[in-house]
Amino acid sequence: MEGLSILLNGFANSFTTVNLVACFTGALIGTLVGVLPGLGPTATMVLMLPFTLPYGPTTGLIMMTGVWYGAMYGGSTTSVLVNIPGEAASVVTCIDGYQMCKKGRAGAALALVAVGSFVAGTMGILGLQFFAPLLGNAALSFGPPEFLAFMILAFVLLSNLSAEAPLKGASMIALGLFLSTIGLNPMDSYPRFTFGSEKLMLGIDFLPVAVGLFGISEVLSVALEKYVRPVVNRIRLRELYPNREEMRRSIFPTLRGSILGFFVGLLPGPCTVISTFVSYSLEKRISKTPEKFGQGAVEGVVAPESANNSAVMGSMIPLLTLGIPFAAPSAVMLAGLRMHNVEPGPMLFTTHPEVFWTFIAAMYLGNLMLLILNLPLVGAFARIAVIRPQILIPIISVICLVGVYSVRNSLFDVWVMIAAGVVGLFLRKWKFPVAPFIIGLVLGPTTENSLRQTLLMFQGDVSLIVNRPLSITLLALAVAFLAYKFTAPLWGRKYELKVEEGKL
Amino acid sequence: MDKAPKFRLETFFDFFLLFLGLVISIISWGYGFGSLGQPGPGLYPFFVGAAIAIFSVFLLISELRSATSKPVLDKERAKTLILMTATFCLWILAMPVLGYVPVTLVATFSFCKVMKLEGWRKPLAVSGGTALFIYLLFDYWLYIDLPRGILG
Repeated sequence: MEGLSILLNGFANSFTTVNLVACFTGALIGTLVGVLPGLGPTATMVLMLPFTLPYGPTTGLIMMTGVWYGAMYGGSTTSVLVNIPGEAASVVTCIDGYQMCKKGRAGAALALVAVGSFVAGTMGILGLQFFAPLLGNAALSFGPPEFLAFMILAFVLLSNLSAEAPLKGASMIALGLFLSTIGLNPMDSYPRFTFGSEKLMLGIDFLPVAVGLFGISEVLSVALEKYVRPVVNRIRLRELYPNREEMRRSIFPTLRGSILGFFVGLLPGPCTVISTFVSYSLEKRISKTPEKFGQGAVEGVVAPESANNSAVMGSMIPLLTLGIPFAAPSAVMLAGLRMHNVEPGPMLFTTHPEVFWTFIAAMYLGNLMLLILNLPLVGAFARIAVIRPQILIPIISVICLVGVYSVRNSLFDVWVMIAAGVVGLFLRKWKFPVAPFIIGLVLGPTTENSLRQTLLMFQGDVSLIVNRPLSITLLALAVAFLAYKFTAPLWGRKYELKVEEGKL
Repeated sequence: MDKAPKFRLETFFDFFLLFLGLVISIISWGYGFGSLGQPGPGLYPFFVGAAIAIFSVFLLISELRSATSKPVLDKERAKTLILMTATFCLWILAMPVLGYVPVTLVATFSFCKVMKLEGWRKPLAVSGGTALFIYLLFDYWLYIDLPRGILG
């Protein structure tokens, strides 16, 4: 009963004009971003950070999540109608979504995706509401060694899951960790890598680096590509009704996608993208008619789209309960909360419970808003997809410039943003993932504190970590994962040899 | 079949990472490594620098082993990148002197032309609209005091 009353209190808090407007704005902008190829949800969330500053942390969190969530909804629109994914988590939707469109079932596909996303989002929020306080309470017993071990495991998984070449992911994490050491060390106020510069004493701020890496580098990347005007298939409201067979076939894939997506969201890395691939392959594997996949199977559209929505909610759990972001958008949220002097983690549920419960309540509302917004306006959103980058890029560029400057009235920050943008462009070209860099930058201070406190606790004797069962388990998992990664090619080769010899 | 040179920009970047990692470790050592029981301010960045150096060695090896590659940017794209970056830099240099509204207007116009938005009317409309939007957003909605410069 207590849980219900604090949730109702959360609803009461979220029903303020500011929070409702923030929720709607976030959802609308997120949908637009999802529709428009080029600018992803992370870049948009970073760009919106300065605009959340005049309001409270809850309002900021609601707006940020609205953007992330809305992008998942919007991404499917262009995937189905234009065969161009609005963002990475909608790539899989193109396969069967566009085929459905060619068969004149685009409206049905989009309606089922919207309803499926709503169901998945609601299930994800339920999961978050249930698991987050439990894990938060469990995490209260975490000491520095546990946090350090958890961070090491997260870095190992992150470098392997977010990059084609794990070494590139690992080096990006290390670079992010290094950047976080610039400035005064908070533990002993010792200046590091400042070279006498007063500006560097304060450290490198997260915002300009993130806007540069995600905003400016995307802007430059789109500016350098040749633009091909997409052909958008028109859609009318009456075409949105799916037939009974399509509805029947989408029920279980929606539920499976929702559950799967939620648990994939708990993993480090681009969880929304991974969840769509895993969900699609699962549906194909268990389908009685796998040959229909790629030909316009409704299961291949609704399951991944449901999965990416619930993955968003799943990924909020490590952020809110441990203060550890596993994906780039949640790293932005962590930075945003810190700008409001709110530190997510086990203590969040005791020090700022209103933040969590108002956020949960607002997400229910946001999910409903997105459903109402997406179904009737799907045609309008599709037309937005044809806005040319020649118009969009200049507008986004100057918003980045003024937005970053306005936070601290610092031209130095703008220089940092431009440098990060140009470097980010080349990193993308060379297939270095930028998300681990940002996560490393955000988690750097926590990692250093955990390491130093652990060493002080153990008085330098790191072997004492065996006395901490949770720490040693987490480290063992990291080692096991690395051992598997290193030996996987050997196992694959042995398997191939056996096949060649006819033993398998 | 044309074979691109093995030593490319990405290889330079890997060398830079190696150099950076080593420099970080050396400087960190100077800050005071301390001991494992009493860690100094240099201990953590020392290990981070060492990790960067080690990763970059492996990256370099795999980079030098790989055969061919396409150039990252052709002449046309390089020109666009330089012009875009120059416009960003000009905004930073001119904004404190001339004020954010006129500089934003000119920068948006410049971005439009770099992006090859045809004619004069469309770029003017986009830049005028954007400058007005930025002015209303920051001045009237967010109440953020931005430099108005000699024209303000």
